Amino acid sequence: MSISVRVDKRTYSSWFLSVFLPIISVLLALIGGSIFLAFLKVSPLQAYRGMFQTAFGDWYGISETIVKAIPLTLSGIAVTLAFKATVWNIGAAGQIFLGALATTAAVRYFYVDNHWMMFFIMFLLAGIAGGSWAAIAGYLKARWNVNETITTLMLNYIAIHLVDYFIYGPWKDPDSLGFPMTAPFPEAARIPLLVGTRIHYGLFIAIFFAIFFWFIFRYTRWGYEIQVIGESPKAAQYAGIYYLRYIVLIMFISGAIAGIAGMCEVSGLQGRLQHGFTAEFGFTAIIVAWLARLNPISVMLVSFLIGALQVGGESLQIVMRLPIASTLVLQGLILFFVLGGEFFRNYRIRFIRGDER
Amino acid sequence: MEMVVSILAAAVRSGTPILFATLGEIIIEKSGILNLGLEGIMLIGALTGFSVSLVSGNPWLGIMAAFILGALITLIHGFISITLRGNQVVSGLAMTIFGTGVSSLMGKAFIGKTIPGLLKTPFPVLNRIPFVGPIFFNHDLLVYFSFFLVIFLSWFLISTRIGLNLRAVGDSPRAADAMGLNINRIRYLAVAIGGGIVAIGGAYLSVAYNKMWTESMTAGRGWIAVALVIFAIWNPTRAALGAYLFGGVEAFQLRLQATGTSIPTPLLLMLPYLLTVCVLIFISIGKGKGILFGAPASLGQPYFREESE
Amino acid sequence: MNKWVWLLILVVFFAMGSVALAFDPIPAEDLKIGFVFVGPVGDGGWSYMHDQGRQAIEKAFPGVTTMYAESVPEGPDCARVMEQFVRNGAQLVFATSFGYMDQVIEVAKKYPDVVFMHCSGYKMADNVGLYFGRMYQARYLSGLVAGSMTKSNIIGFPAAHPIPEVIRMINAFTLGARKANPDARVKVVWLYSWFDPGKEKEATKALIDAGADMIGMHADSGSTPQTAEESGVYVIGYNNDMSSYAPTKCLTSSVWDWSTIYVDIIKKVIEGNWKPIDDWWGMDTGIVKLTSFSQDVPEEVKTLVQEEQEKIINGTWDVFWGPIKDQNGNEKIAEGQKMSDQDILSFSWFVEGVEGEIPVSQ
Repeated sequence: MSISVRVDKRTYSSWFLSVFLPIISVLLALIGGSIFLAFLKVSPLQAYRGMFQTAFGDWYGISETIVKAIPLTLSGIAVTLAFKATVWNIGAAGQIFLGALATTAAVRYFYVDNHWMMFFIMFLLAGIAGGSWAAIAGYLKARWNVNETITTLMLNYIAIHLVDYFIYGPWKDPDSLGFPMTAPFPEAARIPLLVGTRIHYGLFIAIFFAIFFWFIFRYTRWGYEIQVIGESPKAAQYAGIYYLRYIVLIMFISGAIAGIAGMCEVSGLQGRLQHGFTAEFGFTAIIVAWLARLNPISVMLVSFLIGALQVGGESLQIVMRLPIASTLVLQGLILFFVLGGEFFRNYRIRFIRGDER
Repeated sequence: MEMVVSILAAAVRSGTPILFATLGEIIIEKSGILNLGLEGIMLIGALTGFSVSLVSGNPWLGIMAAFILGALITLIHGFISITLRGNQVVSGLAMTIFGTGVSSLMGKAFIGKTIPGLLKTPFPVLNRIPFVGPIFFNHDLLVYFSFFLVIFLSWFLISTRIGLNLRAVGDSPRAADAMGLNINRIRYLAVAIGGGIVAIGGAYLSVAYNKMWTESMTAGRGWIAVALVIFAIWNPTRAALGAYLFGGVEAFQLRLQATGTSIPTPLLLMLPYLLTVCVLIFISIGKGKGILFGAPASLGQPYFREESE
Repeated sequence: MNKWVWLLILVVFFAMGSVALAFDPIPAEDLKIGFVFVGPVGDGGWSYMHDQGRQAIEKAFPGVTTMYAESVPEGPDCARVMEQFVRNGAQLVFATSFGYMDQVIEVAKKYPDVVFMHCSGYKMADNVGLYFGRMYQARYLSGLVAGSMTKSNIIGFPAAHPIPEVIRMINAFTLGARKANPDARVKVVWLYSWFDPGKEKEATKALIDAGADMIGMHADSGSTPQTAEESGVYVIGYNNDMSSYAPTKCLTSSVWDWSTIYVDIIKKVIEGNWKPIDDWWGMDTGIVKLTSFSQDVPEEVKTLVQEEQEKIINGTWDVFWGPIKDQNGNEKIAEGQKMSDQDILSFSWFVEGVEGEIPVSQ
């Protein structure tokens, strides 16, 4: 009598499991993290309490979490769009840089002393810049099947160096004593903030895009067609005519949104383009998009949670004196556990007696 | 002329860690598993290699330890990808984050220390061949091992039974399964061995190239390797060319500065990436429209025996 | 996971957050200090030396508590880090990198009762002071050694970023090298990174290939001295004593010692004497110095360094007093003229003898 294990894909997903399992996964992750923290001679309860408190306990923490969540949401949506069409845009970081660059160019060359005009100009230029950057990879893929994973990845690096070229060279602030930063943006070129916080109006852009694209994918023909392309690119490719246009268009929109994320960061948060501007959230966005199962509304929520993880994680450093690397380990652990949990959600284990096959 | 030789020698030297990572990833991807965690695995390999070399006094012990630990760590990704059928992209990214964090944490005790490491061992006879000699045969033993690995892998993938089985599993798991191959076992083996080799790439950095440990010392090489695998169209020899191209352009840019140029450095720094894209476009146009030639068809997709197509 | 699950998780976390708040203790009254580091404290370079200073504070003032955050990127993130310090009771915050400038001013406005000290910056406020050390003086002295002992007259210099601080170091180093040896030239290669052992190694090799038999450095890892040692070339270290990386080839290193200035600032704050000033301490205070010479350095070079060091410490002369010519041979500082601190801080041109390019703004 032998017992073998059989793994089946679930044909329907139980509502119960849908809700219950992820919570268990996260809890297990926290437990796993506790073991890790204990290993570092830190009380896990104290650490987690500190993290919660920092991220959710007061208005400052929540506002900072939102500040972190805005660019994550925007780039998460950008990445989601591309992934829906099975175009692997891992170049969000580069598109963010291009958006920041274009925003700086807008301030330098197209300055208008009016808040809303300036906002519109920066928005437009950042979108076009980020979109074009992504569209390069899109076009190469659609026309000659050049693998977009590489092109977008390489374009990231090229974008970083492009930014360096400008801030060390032609766009360097003459008043900054020669340090690699542009002149500070004038008032009209700054995105307004919610009073008392660092939350900028990029929040509304993010929320708008989340709802907008959720609507597109759920209720419009165009959204449906994108998902079809995503599900069977070969079939779509044989159709020929539309594939090229769609891929380039999708990449353009995806890059445009990422570019706008860059605009928000540089204009809303920092107020000038300086060396040290990171687009690291372009990579985190990929994780966000996956965790959100490519649903734009979920992207918002997941971004908020990940933002909280980052803000709370900082407290581990400051209050608990843990090295910053410990937050990375925690993040990795959480992801592994959630991945593991997904297994139980998607598949069903059956124990079979005998040699039934 | 001397300048060219020294640039090419530097290309080989600095391309070697990328080469190891690329070769390891080729093995993994040939079995159908996508692994984006190269940065994390390389860092763990670098730390393991360095720490074991420091403590034991023997760099080869360090390299072997790096191989083992790299294999073990990558097996986590393998478990998630193969048995749990999880999303391989995210699992790989999680591996990068996790590996970076763990290596940074555990490495704190080793910052600031140095080891004698692997010394340069000129290859007798061969290193006196004009031009080619100083470029390829004036390095340490691990570099020579990488040459061997390239040749071995090329032969292995094409001419051996196991190699063909590996490619079958990656290209068409259903057919391979029908042939009686154990998909999971082959994939696990590929992941373990490939992961070990990736870790050797990291160990090379800390034991032979820089002989020290510092946080994030891989400086993005893992990501370059991910791109190079595709660039090389999963072919070990082309992988070597790609890796050396990368190392070479950086060495070239630095020497250009040293001899005096007014080209702004950031533009020079873009060169390796631009070149990679251009070569890729060139290859792709050449191959014409169609499916990417040489990619394991099942790359990134979990395998289900019972699933009906 | 669908969006309702995420929403549920969020609600739970919020609830837990507000509960957690209920048990929070009140911070103690002893002086709390926060440090923002731009790199890892284990980098053996810039951040490491600042951390040594922080530890010196803890030793000198046992009642004080220090907190620190490492690898904080320059930009908006550090504003949050500094706020967190203040929210955790810090009354004094040290921001140890230039790029934190905007955020220091921003956060300082919110908390007028907290003292902020910004290292290597140029913006002050009622509660923001500046501090830095005249490393260029130690660089000049180390340049004397380099110039004296180079035989090929080419000195290689892998440098991180073309910013005034680095340019200033290169200039001081070159002035010293050419004082000892008017034929010496300094070749600069830009790494565009503070910390990349691989690049530093290749840059060093490239410079050696270009004829350098002496290497200086401005970067944060030990890769440059290590490579120099391997290639049998002399090297002058920076930040920290680099002889552990180059046991036989490191002639000397120009290093930081932040302990004296940190202790001084703490004293002022404790006694209530703190005022916002621009504290640019010189070699006479011990904030910068040279490590001991290697045995390869001949006596006459040691004597030369000693003499020049005397002049600087006495105040009878300083590195950037005229005459100084630029790369193209034009005299920029006349004999008897002294460069102002402002000009020294904003150095954007190379002195005669430097071979390298600085990107220009338009």
